[in-house]
Amino acid sequence: MRQVIFLLKPRLWSFKNRGHAKKGGIRLFVFGVIGLFFWTGIFAVSYRVLVYFQQVEGIGDILAYKLLSMVLVTFFSLLIFSSILTSLSKLYLSRDLSLVHSLPVPREKIFLARWIESTLDSSWMVIVYTIPVFISYAIVYESGLFFYANIALALFPLCVTASALSALVVLTTVIILPARRIRSIFVFLGFAVFIILYVAFRLLRPERLVNPEDCSSVLVYLRSLNTPASPLLPSTWAFDSLKAALSGDVRNALFHAALSCSGAVSLAFVAVWAAKTFYFRGFSKTQAALARPFQAQSRGLNIFFSFLPGPARAFAIKEIKTFWRDQTQWSQIFLVGALIVIYIYNFSVLPLEKSPIQTVYLQNLLSFLNMALTAFVLTAVTARFAFPAVSIEGNPFWIVRSGPISIRAFLWIKLFIYLVPLLILSEILIVATNLLLHVTPLMMYLSVITVFLLTPGVVAMGIGLGAAYPDFTSENPAQSVTSFGGLMFMILSATYIGTITILEAGPVYTVFMAGLRGHGLSYLQWAWVVGSFSVAFLLSILAIVLPMRFGRKRLLVSLI
Amino acid sequence: MIQLKNLSKHYGDIKAVNRLNLSVSPGEIFGFIGPNGAGKTTTIRMMGGLLAPTEGSVIICGIDMARRPERAKKKIGLIPDQPFLYEKLTGMEFLQFTADLYGIKRDAFMEKAEKLLNMFSLFGRAHELIEAYSHGMKQRLVISAALLHDPSVVIVDEPMVGLDPRGIKIVEDLFRTLAARGTTIFMSTHALKLAEDVCDRIGIINKGFLIATGTLTDLKHAANMGEVDLEQVFFQLTEEESAS
Repeated sequence: MRQVIFLLKPRLWSFKNRGHAKKGGIRLFVFGVIGLFFWTGIFAVSYRVLVYFQQVEGIGDILAYKLLSMVLVTFFSLLIFSSILTSLSKLYLSRDLSLVHSLPVPREKIFLARWIESTLDSSWMVIVYTIPVFISYAIVYESGLFFYANIALALFPLCVTASALSALVVLTTVIILPARRIRSIFVFLGFAVFIILYVAFRLLRPERLVNPEDCSSVLVYLRSLNTPASPLLPSTWAFDSLKAALSGDVRNALFHAALSCSGAVSLAFVAVWAAKTFYFRGFSKTQAALARPFQAQSRGLNIFFSFLPGPARAFAIKEIKTFWRDQTQWSQIFLVGALIVIYIYNFSVLPLEKSPIQTVYLQNLLSFLNMALTAFVLTAVTARFAFPAVSIEGNPFWIVRSGPISIRAFLWIKLFIYLVPLLILSEILIVATNLLLHVTPLMMYLSVITVFLLTPGVVAMGIGLGAAYPDFTSENPAQSVTSFGGLMFMILSATYIGTITILEAGPVYTVFMAGLRGHGLSYLQWAWVVGSFSVAFLLSILAIVLPMRFGRKRLLVSLI
Repeated sequence: MIQLKNLSKHYGDIKAVNRLNLSVSPGEIFGFIGPNGAGKTTTIRMMGGLLAPTEGSVIICGIDMARRPERAKKKIGLIPDQPFLYEKLTGMEFLQFTADLYGIKRDAFMEKAEKLLNMFSLFGRAHELIEAYSHGMKQRLVISAALLHDPSVVIVDEPMVGLDPRGIKIVEDLFRTLAARGTTIFMSTHALKLAEDVCDRIGIINKGFLIATGTLTDLKHAANMGEVDLEQVFFQLTEEESAS
């Protein structure tokens, strides 16, 4: 065990040294506040739901326990998914593995040290954000201190079980497939499962539950609530333990927690035993899989971009080629595709005709909100693709720095490379959803123009803030969106979209109502319309220029 | 061709490079040697426009790097010690990228690229992804890319790291040929034998100060030594400096 502790020490020291660093105080504070905000939100929602369940006579407890069971199944699924990705990185893809494997330490101990790290990394956030759910149960059911202790007793083995199962899956799969490809496959599968679940949920048409004629199906549903989950699921052991603790049955709670613990320890033992046989073979295979020859000779892009000036063409072609050849990007493209399909599908199932509000009014109101929603979808896509555009240069950034191109030009080229596809995407989204809503021509023109104005600003914020907070050393630059800079981008983009929407809302309503009533606009109303749209236009220009300037300055300072 | 005037770089209280004054003429091969942490790479990074000096200036072919960085960089071919490249491009695509960046005409590019790739024995693997290349192959590709636009000044940080004996021979011969054509070569190295064999003049930097410059004979005089090699001169001068 001493060797395992030695192997874990660099991580502990790095963590300790990070605490000594003077920089990052503000970042920590901002993250802390936002984290606390979400934590409180989760607590408030779960507490409210549980209080509501308590008021439902007869089935309140059934619903509460069903919810607890569902939370634990979701918790366990998230842990499995997160553990697979983390253990793949920790066991096979980390940069320091060459050093670690050259040390005179048995391989199973290397595995154990890495697995412990992976378990902690993949579990902590899931635990932190599910704790408020359990606390709300404790408060609503007025449980004693034992329940709080039981939360730890139930969750700890669940995390270990998920991590051990994931490690076993990864250990055996890497023997068949190269580790780099597995990560893409699992990310892909994860999103596929999510989409299937979502589509299945949508096909159930939950909105029908509000109709009285569908009551019989609700009763059938309620009957299914009492069906217990499979006793083979580790989340069921945790559920049984927590349920017993909630009702004050200490003996039963401890029995199920002990069952859960014994399952976790056994699986951990099996994982270490399997590591003796499989770990090094898989690791060795991952190294060999690196030297993958690739024949490529595409002249099409060169011809297509021949109208661009040299540096712009160089970056455009480089960006497209590296994007398509990086398998980790494929799952992201799939995610974006799924996001768009879901978004458009939701509009197609809106029961507008059943609404008590006048349809023309509602269609145009939704169309107006749709502009903001499209911009939020754009923000999510920009965060994933454009924000890491500077960080993705990585170590070869020296090529840009030593090349005959200014940082300013480099950033503007990046902006245009990402702007074109994102603008096309946003316009397709807004036009498709507006067609589904059968909006008036005025709203169609307004939406198309507004999105045309919003998109450059959002993309410029992504590029600018991505340049201001770059991470050239990250093994996965796409994750930089979860950094402080990514958070700032999300907040700024949302503020910008919100401001533009508010600026347009009043004048559009006035114009729309005047058209509906057949009145003309007064001079004052005209002035208001022109003023609002002028300010929106000005803001859109500033949203392009200011973040780009900020990004350039910060990037230059960070490189000194 | 290269002028460094009062060039300094400070990191807080640490003076990595201190008031460096140096001039390298066209066609000259200048060797820049010094112990680890002496300031060699920092100087090269400032010369290549990768790092802004705290004070002083870098003039390349009469162009101030601080005032007109793009024009100055166009004159330089920079070869760093670590060949970090875009791993998802092929060797040929990387050269095409460099050519586009430096504004090399399409028709001239293919001829030059083929010539350089053949010279460095990379032509047969030019259409493979860079991620499949060995360290030495990446280093050869970086050198090919640096020479693609016929730079007036070549700045090299540890040119021979990762190269096999054949690669080293090719680079040595290439530097001599380029210098004979008027290209200035500024080369930082730990390989004292290489510096002795190839360089016209040598500068020794220690703790951020340029402690000696000149031909091997000049340095021997400075160290008050007779028939000795550069290695002994280097130890003598750097130890004297460390003791003082």
